[in-house]
Amino acid sequence: MLIIAYGNPLRGDDGVAWHIAEQLAAAQGQSPLKILTRHQLTPELAEAISQANLVIFVDASVGQPPGTISCVPVGPEMADQSSHQFDPASLMFCAREIYGSAPKALLCTIAGEDFGYEERLSPTILAAMPKLLQRIRALIAAHEESN
Amino acid sequence: MTKQIVIDPISRIEGHAKITIHLDEQGVVHNAYFHVTQFRGFEKLCVGRPFYEMPSLMARICGICPVSHLIASAKACDALLAVRIPQTADKLRRILNLAQIIQSHALSFFHLSSPDFLLGMDSEPAKRNLFGVMRAKPELARDGIRLRQFGQQVIELLGGKRIHPAWVVPGGVSEPLSVAHRDQILAGLPECISIGERTLHWFKSLLDKYRDEIKSFGNFPSLFLGLVKPDGRIAFYEGKLRVVDAAGNIVADQLEAAAYQAHIAEAVEPWTYLKFPYYKPLGYHEGMYRVGPLARLNISDRCGTARADQELAEFHELQRTAVLSSFYFHYARLIEILFAVERLEQILTDPEILDRHVRAFARPNSNEGVGVAEAPRGTLIHHYRVDENGLITWVNLVIATGHNNLAMNRAVLQVAKRYVNGQRLSEGMLNRVEAVIRAYDPCLSCSTHAAGQMPLQIQLVSPEGKVVDEIRRG
Repeated sequence: MLIIAYGNPLRGDDGVAWHIAEQLAAAQGQSPLKILTRHQLTPELAEAISQANLVIFVDASVGQPPGTISCVPVGPEMADQSSHQFDPASLMFCAREIYGSAPKALLCTIAGEDFGYEERLSPTILAAMPKLLQRIRALIAAHEESN
Repeated sequence: MTKQIVIDPISRIEGHAKITIHLDEQGVVHNAYFHVTQFRGFEKLCVGRPFYEMPSLMARICGICPVSHLIASAKACDALLAVRIPQTADKLRRILNLAQIIQSHALSFFHLSSPDFLLGMDSEPAKRNLFGVMRAKPELARDGIRLRQFGQQVIELLGGKRIHPAWVVPGGVSEPLSVAHRDQILAGLPECISIGERTLHWFKSLLDKYRDEIKSFGNFPSLFLGLVKPDGRIAFYEGKLRVVDAAGNIVADQLEAAAYQAHIAEAVEPWTYLKFPYYKPLGYHEGMYRVGPLARLNISDRCGTARADQELAEFHELQRTAVLSSFYFHYARLIEILFAVERLEQILTDPEILDRHVRAFARPNSNEGVGVAEAPRGTLIHHYRVDENGLITWVNLVIATGHNNLAMNRAVLQVAKRYVNGQRLSEGMLNRVEAVIRAYDPCLSCSTHAAGQMPLQIQLVSPEGKVVDEIRRG
């Protein structure tokens, strides 16, 4: 299982995934969980994705009420192949096309409130974080049970 | 009554720029300009900072080539300290610089330019990107990713992280190399050699197909400038300046890089934020020179590694003179990747590389320091002055891409004259004008590549302001 937590920890709520990754790592125990933190998604991640059996991307989002939690499936068929942007779907496409395998994947997000120049999270996001952590842990547990 | 075509922004480059193409009344190109539209101001914001902060501050100029700025900055700080850094530190910095060359050249060739070669200059723009490469030739995309990953891993193993490592410091480096990390890097080299060789083989097989582009992609006489070793070998970390003319003759050799201001001047134009360096003895415009992979291969007698020397000999056979077409920047980039991998092996198998003495300590002993190194895109110069407290009072940075500014403008004009039909715009025409800029792999902001949707709008506007024709992308 692979967690890819990405965002900019110097831009307030955009760094929420780094905080999530830290908490997941702290309580990891013996779980065979690989956790990667990145500022942005790059093609180099595709190989690790192709070798996993479950990938959970964690990110901040915009466009929803702050604190809104979302976990949605993401697959290679959703990639916008006409752009130069690397998002989770693009990486799944990359994993399938050049490494031959695109596992089950989800994109879990919290809608951010403040993306200013700071390292702290806004109170709204801090309050919502446990809920997303619980959701991710449940996904991991369900996956472990089914395997 | 003239018309103007604007390409804004240019896609698949690092940074933000636009191109304007000026047409006469008959729709014939009579001028073209490459405008850099962003402003950074790093030379000013560093004033007042302690000199020892400079490597870390300068690394923040660029997310693509922070290592290059770290190296040049640290060398300038060494000059302020007036110390000779430990030999092992010198070698470790060289390793870091070579890793940067590998990862940056891989990004340029595979990620940014290979869609043009593989899918064709006239192919559908929506598919002419890295995703298109993955579909058409997945092994090429895989090789590009692997090379870039390797370069970044080396940087991370030495410097602690891939972007903005703080390991290079005034006086040397902060930590020695461990046996485990040395062995890990060495283990990755054979695969990189194989990738370099097969990519060169593939690219050379394409050259016939791109004969027309080779003729018109920045194919003109110019000077070439870069660092070489005393025996004329290619140099990336330490060397002296050599200038070669279009005929391949050495115009000036073994010039002290620290005295660059005696040989290079910078002009300013009102329509771009990028300065125009030129070779002083020949004056502005006549003193146009090129730097970077093409220049380095043109000025170097040899590389000093077996495979790269063989490739360099073949490269020099392209023309009896210097190799002039900017299309060959891509070719040169691949040879440099091969050289960098071979050179890494040479340095890493030196027993001294594991020595633990990697830093010299001193107070500032000079109020002025210059650091020069070869970045992926060419000769990078950092020049600092400090006061008696070691606080920065003045900074001058001559960024690799800047050296190529005159040549890039000349190249855009040449391509536009060859391909642009002012009566009717086409996507292939647009892409070729952009592609010649991509050949130089400019790093315009010296900051992170603008990831994301790259919209493009080209308008053919009449003198009355009426849009005669328009192409939109993204």
